[in-house]
Amino acid sequence: MTIMMAGMFYLYVGGAVAVVFLVFGLGRIDENARGAWIFRPLLIPGVLLVWPLVIWRWVVLMRGEEKLDRHRMPRIRQERAQLVFVIVIPLILLVSFALRQDPASLSAPVLLEAPE
Amino acid sequence: MAKPQEPFFVGWGKVPKALRVFLASCAALLVVAFGALAYATSATQTDTGSGAIMGRTEVIGILQEKPYPVLHVIQSRHFEPGDSILLSGNGKSGAIDQAAGLDGKVVQANGFRLDRGDLHGMQLRNGQRGLKLAADQNQTLDIPVKSLGRWRLQGEVCDGKCLVGAMRPGNGLAHRACANLCLLGDVAPVFVSAGQVDGSAFFLMSNPEGEPVTQEVLKYTAVLVEVEGEVERRGGVLVFKVDPETFRVAP
Amino acid sequence: MSVKYTPVQWNKNKWGYDAVLIALVVLYITVFIEVGTPAADLARPLDNAILRMRAFGTCALWMLTFILCIGPLARLDKRFLPVLYNRRHFGVLTAVVAFTHAMYVFNWYFSFTAQTTLAAMLASTNGFGQILGFPIEILGLVSLILLGILAATSHDFWLTFLSAPVWKSLHLLIYPAYALVVAHVSLGYFQDSANPVFGVLFVGSALGVAVLHLLALLKERKVNDAATEWVEACKPGDIQDKRAAIVTLSKDERVAIFRTGSSFSAVSNACAHQGGPLGEGKIVYGCVTCPWHGFSYKARNGRSPAPFTEMIPTYNMKLEDGTLYIDRKANQPGTDVEPIIYEVENDG
Repeated sequence: MTIMMAGMFYLYVGGAVAVVFLVFGLGRIDENARGAWIFRPLLIPGVLLVWPLVIWRWVVLMRGEEKLDRHRMPRIRQERAQLVFVIVIPLILLVSFALRQDPASLSAPVLLEAPE
Repeated sequence: MAKPQEPFFVGWGKVPKALRVFLASCAALLVVAFGALAYATSATQTDTGSGAIMGRTEVIGILQEKPYPVLHVIQSRHFEPGDSILLSGNGKSGAIDQAAGLDGKVVQANGFRLDRGDLHGMQLRNGQRGLKLAADQNQTLDIPVKSLGRWRLQGEVCDGKCLVGAMRPGNGLAHRACANLCLLGDVAPVFVSAGQVDGSAFFLMSNPEGEPVTQEVLKYTAVLVEVEGEVERRGGVLVFKVDPETFRVAP
Repeated sequence: MSVKYTPVQWNKNKWGYDAVLIALVVLYITVFIEVGTPAADLARPLDNAILRMRAFGTCALWMLTFILCIGPLARLDKRFLPVLYNRRHFGVLTAVVAFTHAMYVFNWYFSFTAQTTLAAMLASTNGFGQILGFPIEILGLVSLILLGILAATSHDFWLTFLSAPVWKSLHLLIYPAYALVVAHVSLGYFQDSANPVFGVLFVGSALGVAVLHLLALLKERKVNDAATEWVEACKPGDIQDKRAAIVTLSKDERVAIFRTGSSFSAVSNACAHQGGPLGEGKIVYGCVTCPWHGFSYKARNGRSPAPFTEMIPTYNMKLEDGTLYIDRKANQPGTDVEPIIYEVENDG
């Protein structure tokens, strides 16, 4: 129940952020969005899901703090993610294969105590 | 040093000739792969057994409330006298509420017949329309009760509605959450053994005292397990009075 | 590119791509339900809902498997780059197919109770402490949410807004999403299927994805992170006309040196759009053109031709003893740098 309440709350806040951001915020931080309205509803699901990220970027862009980092791709991060991925996938398969149960290998009923 | 330049694709431009053949082959290969994958995946699906919903039925019989409601048939068009039927309600619910206070009484049941070989079930209609005292309480039936000793069985804990035929398939790990939802709704847990005891591989489960055992089995639903307990024949159904402490995941 | 945003920027290539994608899904579902299942050895037909959750579920699984192969394949063989070009549409369609699968599950396995389907799902959830019997629905649901986030943030607006590095980091979620799907299937349908065919296909394809990623990782170039200000790059003659050499400054920073005839310019290797490897691109119509989505820049100042407004950093270079050196310090995006002129001899 708590999980569902938290989830609903998250989405409600996201909804509020989406309205404010898409109606007022967007045009100020992205000149390509000025006057472009048809594509905005398309952004609603994204804002609902990642609104904390949206607020953070919104603040960064409004303050004009963006630096050259924009042009440095997170290659190390990607390589690490791929490395973990390359290890984890076979691991999952191995574990699930090792634990796989075969109904044919089950043994027949065993009488432990005969009825009185 | 000048090696011939590789063809270069620009998304908004024309696809270079040299790449066109390659990409067309990729697309064709993908189409063939998806068709083949679809066929290979679907044509090798596991058989779900004979359980199914068999249509409307009406039964006069004697009700047994514990561990979960069972109806011992006196007369019916579709069941043999002496058959024992696992009762369930509409949706993912059992018949405990509907059967309350009717233990040992002659009742009239109305609903859908579920059938899987020698395992019988019935989905009752709601309320009195599904289960009520029969007008004639003088009808009788001999329900033999016999202890068959203490057994160690290997097999799977299922819910006694989907397994009997309400869902196809109604067992297995992919169906586990659904089975647990049924069990939480008071549907009877049924043990499907790897081998037969006294002619049947299906067992209605209870705790050692013959009371419901729902909470204790939830963890083991759909996994192949081993468990010990007393087995008792009551009419057409075997009751497996499991000791929850003896549950063990089968090797 | 830029200019005003539209809901979807389609072009002829994307239409073709999307047509193939939709054909794949329609073909898969049709063959699964109408051809394969009737051929299966079943005493009685499966529930329609379960048949469809299997059809859409396995379809999404195979789609995700193929999507994850595109990146490493393009890294290993450039001819696959056009497949990468419109990968986002592949991803969005996969999320839709996975969502359809989830809807069949919700409306069948978690319906017919007094509770809402989501509450019913949470109520039935147990077994977190065990591997066999682990609640696979939760694995599937989390994966679906991740796929949803990726699909919902796939519009180009999100790239500009989040910046390519943040967007790319966010979209690394595809890896946990796929791992969750693999676990979801491993502990669910894979355990149930008695016939080994599905198991072989599933395990084989997932291992294939892992191996491809490993190969792509091994192909990555070595890093030149000596602390010198000027980094030795290459000889001008090593670069083909209208192509580039890529120089690695640090793990996260690469430079592409482009040659147009006898003039040489250095720009950031990361495209302003999705961080595509510009150095693997080409000079087209006088502009550096990204191999991923065709974004273009002038080599000497890193600016997109009008009306586009994207900019990338440029780098200063010097020529000593016939070798090009790059200044480790990047210029602000859009800074004009006079190209180095060098006549390459014996150039075919």
